[in-house]
Amino acid sequence: MDALIEKLKGQIIEQLNLAEVKPEEINPDSPLFGEGLGLDSIDALELIVLLEKHYGIKIQDPKDGKTIFQSLRTMAEYIKAQGKS
Amino acid sequence: MVLEETVHPYYLRKHNILSKAYINGTGCISPQNTIDSDWFFDSINPAKGDYFDAIEPSYKEFIAPNLLRRMGRAIKMGVAAANIAIQQAETQKVDAIITGTGLGCFEDSERFLLAMLNNDEQFLTPTSFIQSTHNTVGSQIALIMKCHDYNFTYVHRGFSFESTLQDALMLFEEGKETILIGGIEEHTPNFIILNRKALKFQEVLTDRPIWKSSTPGIQMSEGTAFFVLNKTKTSKSLASVDGIQTLYKPKTAADILNKLVAFLKLRDLSLSDIDVTLMGFSSDVNFDSKLQELLPAIEEETVAACYKNVCGEYHTASAFAMWVATKIIEKQKLPKVLMISDKEPDSIKNVLIINQYLGINYSFTLLSQC
Repeated sequence: MDALIEKLKGQIIEQLNLAEVKPEEINPDSPLFGEGLGLDSIDALELIVLLEKHYGIKIQDPKDGKTIFQSLRTMAEYIKAQGKS
Repeated sequence: MVLEETVHPYYLRKHNILSKAYINGTGCISPQNTIDSDWFFDSINPAKGDYFDAIEPSYKEFIAPNLLRRMGRAIKMGVAAANIAIQQAETQKVDAIITGTGLGCFEDSERFLLAMLNNDEQFLTPTSFIQSTHNTVGSQIALIMKCHDYNFTYVHRGFSFESTLQDALMLFEEGKETILIGGIEEHTPNFIILNRKALKFQEVLTDRPIWKSSTPGIQMSEGTAFFVLNKTKTSKSLASVDGIQTLYKPKTAADILNKLVAFLKLRDLSLSDIDVTLMGFSSDVNFDSKLQELLPAIEEETVAACYKNVCGEYHTASAFAMWVATKIIEKQKLPKVLMISDKEPDSIKNVLIINQYLGINYSFTLLSQC
């Protein structure tokens, strides 16, 4: 799980162009949206594409996004649950 | 054009053609150190062979990090230059934002298209698409300034910046008091490679002045210049814009001269009243030939100067020229690096810009001391 979280940190930094953020500064349990990384709705779309592009996961129901993208850890858990890690 | 030569000046004033504006603030990012407000052609950054790169500032001083991460270079340059102009004008609010660009946000357009190609039209992300539209710069400035008023972007190739100025002059007649206008252009490595393949570039030989070129090829470039314009003169006013006229594909140099004389006559001026004429020589003989032919007539009456030897060529280079004209009036000095004529002007009251882009789009812009 830890390896997957580290991998996700790098992919999120690259995809969202978070040049100012270092991987060690991202707390895997902090919220991704609002506070924490302070991401917004455009970033949510970027994360959906990230999951599809790197892990072959398509989110069928947009409502699931709220739970999946709660934090880095929830994202990693979802990827693992889909058997795509 | 016939209209201006035959119709009574009252008609032209009534229809905004003779409107005037005051420049209260300027901001410029170019291949020179124009970001430093004290810089005045004291040291010149040379071209990188056949093209210029803009000298970019540290954007963190002008743009919040959460906004910065999504912005391409054109947007960053535009927002920063607009910020500098607004700060200089000491204004919090503008009544309109008008931008002009030939190619728009080229970097993001390229990024979006490359992603489509590389990923077989799959996994397309929204950011670069959203940021790639030509009006992104104007809208980002509006969001930052919380300006919900008139916002327009002109994409008129070599007339893009001129159109912003014409629109601003008309808006002043409709009651607007303060307007932000700007011209924006960026290039990318791929853009340079493609243009080089199309043989549009040349390395300008240092021993041949830009106004005496006998070979084809321009030095491509990029940059942005913004201006806070006011309808009325204030203590902040640096110069006034007294007129703008565009000419599309004039047939001969004599044609340009006739239109120029008529343009000045409408403002009760003649060529001898112009202290400095900034001419848009681009180093490509195919595009400069009419200006080369026009030069003796200009030099006979005024002091001729150039500007694309320091800023290169791009769709909105006329915005850089307007920044130069404002500086020349403010400092009351014509920098040596720009001089074509041997003589120096005694005083600088009226500065005329004759811009041309690819020998297609010509424009006259008249600035005066105020």
